[in-house]
Amino acid sequence: MILSRRNFLVGSAALAAGASVSVPLFLPKYHLVRRAKRSRVAILNVERYSQGIDQVLASGLRLFPIDVQDKTVVLKPNLVDYIPGNAINTHPILVLAAAESFRRMGAKCVIVAEGPGHQRDTELVLSQSGYRESLREEEIRFVDLNRDELMRTQLRASYMGMKSLWLPRTVLEADFLVSMPKIKAHHWAGVTLSMKNMLGVVPGSRYGWPKNILHWKGIQESILDVCATIPVHFVIADGIVAMEGNGPLNGTARTLGKIVLADDPVAADTTCARLMGFEPDRVVHIREGAKFLGNLSPVLIDQVGEIPQPPMTPFQVVPEFGHLYAL
Amino acid sequence: MWQCDYLPFELTSASHQYRFLTREGFHNKSAAVKDHHVVLSNVLAELSRRQLPSGGWAALRSSAQASLEPTCLATLATGSEDSDTRRRAQDFLLRVQNPNGSWPAFFGDDQDGVWVTSLAVIALRDVVSAIPARLRGIGWLLECVGRESTWLWKWKFRTVDRRVRFDPDKFGWPWIPDTVSWVVPTAFAILALSQLPCSCGSLEGIPIRIDHGIEMLIDRACPGGGWNSGNGVVYGSALAPHPDDTAVALLALGNRTQDPVVQASVEWLEHTAVTLTAPWSLAWAILALAAHGRAIESLISSLFALPDLSGNDDTCTLALVCLAADHCRALAALGVNL
Repeated sequence: MILSRRNFLVGSAALAAGASVSVPLFLPKYHLVRRAKRSRVAILNVERYSQGIDQVLASGLRLFPIDVQDKTVVLKPNLVDYIPGNAINTHPILVLAAAESFRRMGAKCVIVAEGPGHQRDTELVLSQSGYRESLREEEIRFVDLNRDELMRTQLRASYMGMKSLWLPRTVLEADFLVSMPKIKAHHWAGVTLSMKNMLGVVPGSRYGWPKNILHWKGIQESILDVCATIPVHFVIADGIVAMEGNGPLNGTARTLGKIVLADDPVAADTTCARLMGFEPDRVVHIREGAKFLGNLSPVLIDQVGEIPQPPMTPFQVVPEFGHLYAL
Repeated sequence: MWQCDYLPFELTSASHQYRFLTREGFHNKSAAVKDHHVVLSNVLAELSRRQLPSGGWAALRSSAQASLEPTCLATLATGSEDSDTRRRAQDFLLRVQNPNGSWPAFFGDDQDGVWVTSLAVIALRDVVSAIPARLRGIGWLLECVGRESTWLWKWKFRTVDRRVRFDPDKFGWPWIPDTVSWVVPTAFAILALSQLPCSCGSLEGIPIRIDHGIEMLIDRACPGGGWNSGNGVVYGSALAPHPDDTAVALLALGNRTQDPVVQASVEWLEHTAVTLTAPWSLAWAILALAAHGRAIESLISSLFALPDLSGNDDTCTLALVCLAADHCRALAALGVNL
């Protein structure tokens, strides 16, 4: 067969066009790899919220080689809204205990920061959920991330298809960022753990309440882009009383009696998902995050203390997430 | 600025009859007025102190980034005085308007425009030289619709995505373009558009947009009355209303007092307001309840009794406290008829 010049040019053009369409589908959507070679997770057994949490948490943190000397530590709890009797928010006793521990470890300053996703009146959520008085008494500064100073930030992954987001200065300038989620089932994301908790940093004053743009761009995709852009240095997950069913607001309280500590958000969420009775790799953002944000595989996670065991009865989820259950 | 609240007689909301105060009651009230006046002066002084050299205000005390929501609310709160503070604020608003007529969320933001456009239109209401800017802003608001207004998304929300209960035929305004309608931006847009004396020429779409917006607000109410951001029922579960969202929606529905949803919402807000200890929500509740003819005097006392109001980190809250104290003028500025 003789290849004419015309056929060669047409063929080359077709090949180039095909490559330009298909290559992006195979390229990774993350622009950096933050995954450590190994990760460490500790599960602490805590029956109830009480002053004794201070000591349990302090001894748990000693299991990790944490250096916060002269650093600004930002604690990012999960504060969404307040409904009496519903286990929606990270308990303030745990947040205060964390602040106290990091102060004792030599932190230059400890800030609690959050941008509630549902409630515009952050002070009301703080007041109703027991934070306001406690933070005042302990002289811990709180920053409302919904209204903080904003900086345009290039995203370090492109799952959403957005190049940048306006993100709060307090979080971007943190030396040591601690995600402190409430362990909950979530009706849009399946679970809300340390990675999903980071969507709280997206400012309502710019993107609205709820942060609707993230729903339109895809919750799982948004989680990945935000976590790629803002590194989580440590996780303290509140699973003493967790939530199952129609979370993050209207689910049912579920006593788990655990606090999960980790130096890797993917490893933390993997462990929490197992404690909930789910297969972690069936949660899209955990599975995808394991490619560049942290470790999912048990062989890469040093489990300190208790080995995560699935519960006798797995957490309930809305029907769309029935596939999360372990077989 | 105090004459609405502090005449030496009371207007009882139930009977709409004047009831003269006793001498003791008058003295108590005078003492309260004096205390309130001191607190308010401190809040106003703090608000003035926080104005940035650009003329705008930052959302938080610690920030130097001029933001539009606090600037608009502070502009309204600085009163009808022809002060330098107010003039600088208005100049700032005119300076930062986007080429497409909208306003950004803060100085330096992208130029697509967001929900604060409604607030800027309201804040510039008394400025004659701002009429062209306001008209451009209104033009942008008329173009801006919730994404559920298009046939494709209507179809999606009717068939595939029915987890949140709402009628996609009833749409209003989003927080930012290309997202769905929510309660607060819709309520502010209704207030902004309702301020125009006529709807001729390019503005003829205003009445229909206002009607759609009102229908949307009624549709998105929580089952027992009141509003949150706009999710009344999700996965069959009723979500709780929020005091501030409810108050803002009620301000936009000031002429729908006979609607059962509005009545239930006013009842809910009146019942809830007495429990509030957060100044932002309480101040919004005072404005809305005043707009709906409810007694607010004790709520104002509660507001001014809150500790360290002038030290509040949030500039919007400071402005709201001033507006609640001066609620007659504030409601007039928002275009709500008493």
